Amino acid sequence: MPQQPQPSPSPTPPRKKKIRVPRAINGVEQMVEIEVDDVGGPGWGANDKHTLLNHRMTRVDGALKVSGAAQYTHDVRLPNMTYGRVLRCPHAHARLKKLDYSAAAKKPGVKAIIEGPLKEFRFAGSPVAAVAAVTPEIAQDAIRAIVVEYEVLAHAVRPSDAIKPDAPKVIGQENNLQQKAKQGDPQTVEAAFASCDAIVEAEYRTPRIHHSCLETHGIVVDYRGGDSATIYASTQGTFSIPGDAADALGLPQSAVTATVQHMGGGFGSKFGIGVEGMLACKLSKQTKAPVKLVLTRYDEFVMAGNRSGSWQKIKAGVKKDGTIVALQATQYRLGGLGGGSQAGQPYIYRVANFYREIYALHTNEDSSIAMRAPGHPQASFAMESLVDELANSIGMDPVEFRKKNLRDEMYHRQLDRGAREIGWQRRNSTPGGGSGPLKRGIGCAVGTWGGGGNDQCKVDVAVSRDGSVVVKVGTQDLGTGTRTFTRAIVAEELGLQLKDVVEEIGNSRLGRANDSGGSTTAASLAPSVKDAAYKARILVAERIASLLGSVKSEEITFANGNVTAAGKSISWKQACAALPAAGITAHGEWRSDLQARGVHGVCFAEVEVDVETGKVRPIKMVQVQDCGLPLNRLTMESQINGGMIQSLGMAFWEGRVMDKDLGLQLNPSFMDYKLPGSLEIPEMVPLIDDDDKREVVIGMAEACIIPSLGALANAVCNACGVRVRDLPITPDKILMALSARGSA
Amino acid sequence: MESRKRPDKEKQTHGPSRRSFLKGVGIASAGAAVADKFWTTEEAKAHRTEANAALLAGTNPIVLNVNGEKKSVQVEPRTTLLNALRNHLEPRITGPKLVCDMGSCGSCTVLLDGKPVYSCLVLAVDAVGKPIATVEGLGSPEKLNPVQAAFVEHDGLMCGFCTPGFVTTISAYLKQNPNPTLAEVREACKGNFCRCGAYPRVFEAALAAVKVGKQI
Repeated sequence: MPQQPQPSPSPTPPRKKKIRVPRAINGVEQMVEIEVDDVGGPGWGANDKHTLLNHRMTRVDGALKVSGAAQYTHDVRLPNMTYGRVLRCPHAHARLKKLDYSAAAKKPGVKAIIEGPLKEFRFAGSPVAAVAAVTPEIAQDAIRAIVVEYEVLAHAVRPSDAIKPDAPKVIGQENNLQQKAKQGDPQTVEAAFASCDAIVEAEYRTPRIHHSCLETHGIVVDYRGGDSATIYASTQGTFSIPGDAADALGLPQSAVTATVQHMGGGFGSKFGIGVEGMLACKLSKQTKAPVKLVLTRYDEFVMAGNRSGSWQKIKAGVKKDGTIVALQATQYRLGGLGGGSQAGQPYIYRVANFYREIYALHTNEDSSIAMRAPGHPQASFAMESLVDELANSIGMDPVEFRKKNLRDEMYHRQLDRGAREIGWQRRNSTPGGGSGPLKRGIGCAVGTWGGGGNDQCKVDVAVSRDGSVVVKVGTQDLGTGTRTFTRAIVAEELGLQLKDVVEEIGNSRLGRANDSGGSTTAASLAPSVKDAAYKARILVAERIASLLGSVKSEEITFANGNVTAAGKSISWKQACAALPAAGITAHGEWRSDLQARGVHGVCFAEVEVDVETGKVRPIKMVQVQDCGLPLNRLTMESQINGGMIQSLGMAFWEGRVMDKDLGLQLNPSFMDYKLPGSLEIPEMVPLIDDDDKREVVIGMAEACIIPSLGALANAVCNACGVRVRDLPITPDKILMALSARGSA
Repeated sequence: MESRKRPDKEKQTHGPSRRSFLKGVGIASAGAAVADKFWTTEEAKAHRTEANAALLAGTNPIVLNVNGEKKSVQVEPRTTLLNALRNHLEPRITGPKLVCDMGSCGSCTVLLDGKPVYSCLVLAVDAVGKPIATVEGLGSPEKLNPVQAAFVEHDGLMCGFCTPGFVTTISAYLKQNPNPTLAEVREACKGNFCRCGAYPRVFEAALAAVKVGKQI
């Protein structure tokens, strides 16, 4: 492949280049093209001109992961290490009366017992105490030997109970219902309803969802009583660890090193050391020995966070031509003790008149935390369901209806492609139509996300005299493929192969990097890596230019393992032999022009509903997703599949179930909390939108979990003719809805 | 299709099923496992007897035959094979992961006597005298077996935490059925969960491994 043309020093006037940037127009984000100065430096070049990026690269850590050699935090075992366990409060609301751990402390093998920071517990699962013992089994015995007396207090774990005026107070003396935001003018919206040809009014609910990371939250604190410590953490933020750990250990932050080489899933739930990390640090400080504290699966369900639930009451009106002209929404965020999250309605649709009120409604449950696209799947499910209901109310095709109300043409293109791929014309023209008990239906929905980066990544690329190349940055790979694209960017820039470059990541002693949240990793990291690799190339070129005759360093190209200029070519290794004894090191910083924000995606789903049993069988899911420059097509497609499959779980099976009277979760295990399994996976078609010609990196991991919920819910309705507005869409709800329609 | 790891396997004397697991450990720790959920103080006290405590105490030396090597290890009667491998064996074997600890997710799958079992449901003492193969025994990073190689090639993984379980399950299944259909592959790994959503490519990898080599 030809090397990309290199920018030469720019004479005046500066060159211009066109880039697409997001702009808010009437409160709706649009992509617009603007012209900016071309400041030189590295550029990605056209998406079809890459030698490694935008290709299908297998993961560089794949062999380690498939052979059990990859070491996760859970796999760490250190000399004299003890195992921590947490004692949890068994009541939804209680005060500590007595904590007696004398019997537990006497057990052989028990090394330390500490009390938690709280005396009043506001959810079942709240940590009360922690122990460290020489085996996990003994630690569990010690937990059981602790005697606790509680004063049990009144609780409310269901939103419908918590919203009552006389409900027990969940958070101190404050009202359980807290208004968080309102926007728009209710009078204008009311007036606009009068001009509508059809009005739909409905309530949508989504339950709390568990991240269910297969590697539970866990940490190994290696502190042996000295003046430094090393923390192994299952985390999405290498650099979110040292500060918290230093505080808990009473050490300066500079004395604490955090490391995460591989981690078993985060999905938004793993930032900072968490309560388990604080407890582990305290246990380690007391024992002056390494402590490993990994949450049990039960702990993970009851105290490691969740996606907030939602309860949305929406009224919307539409004109016969398909324009949504008015929308009014009351949205409750169900985040337990926390505030929850939920995007405001009408979400990404253009509605001239809207009014919304957003509330947090508190219950005696652990606080929700970020989960893949926080607040978006909830809002998208409600709005996309509503959009189909509006389209049906005026007899308009849902795809055409969406185009009418979505300004950004990227969606129009993606909707057309998705419709072709799924066979939209096969759709049930009358929802619930057709004979026989097995009915098929097709639905669609759209999604968006920011995915832009920020100036946080500091990357070094070192080239040695023997030709070896190392790229170093403290970032983390969550299974997203960060290692692979980091290595690939450097290899491509230097005209090498993946195997010629080694990446060092996952350590807080390396260059600073951002936490992996908000799909910001790729757009923050990739520009810094590119900048470092570009500078490394220039440095090498300057040092070895004389080997190729009298050429300017910028005339040298690096490709296919060779360094070439003016018709003369030498191998990379030969070139590097001419470097100084210490080799060269280049430092890269973030460049805003190599990234952007704003991605688009659509999902189409086909399902089969058995109207006699209410059982739904997913048949096929198609997602079209853009992201600017796809860094690695193979891993990107995997992430699109992953987004669709996690949505599938939310649509049909997942959801925390609480017992109203006991205040306990009834399904805190994989026996009772149903994850998508191998038998339920439909045919999946992840499509990268190659019509997106933006030569910038944008994160897309969260975008691809958003639209599938709406697509699946709409497919169910198209299949059987009734709409379930309360997730998960289980057979009982479908049968109830069919029965209600039958008797109406 | 063999429905491995499922209750119909219980007729085996030391079958790795939930019921025989509970039988093997005895009432005491079965009770303890439940007490880990929220028991009332009275219920917990009733089960916290001296006799139960004695049942749970003490360790015994055993020899495990792991990946072709005989390993001495000191375990309690209640120690699971999974915990013995991960927390007690020297050096540790951490390919099999502890994820649910109750036989629902498959991440701890190992081959016991050539058959896939959930090692969180097998007591270490019950694995004595039987060959145990973990994912490490199927291939190394330098020399992957055909299933492992296909997982890399087809990206049958993301975070990789479920991967040892899937690889072990599928490697064993292909030995038993070298020419499976997609439906059979799905059925074979219905006892394994993946949270990242790698399933479509796990299936692809399994079917591709068949083409690459019949020798698993």
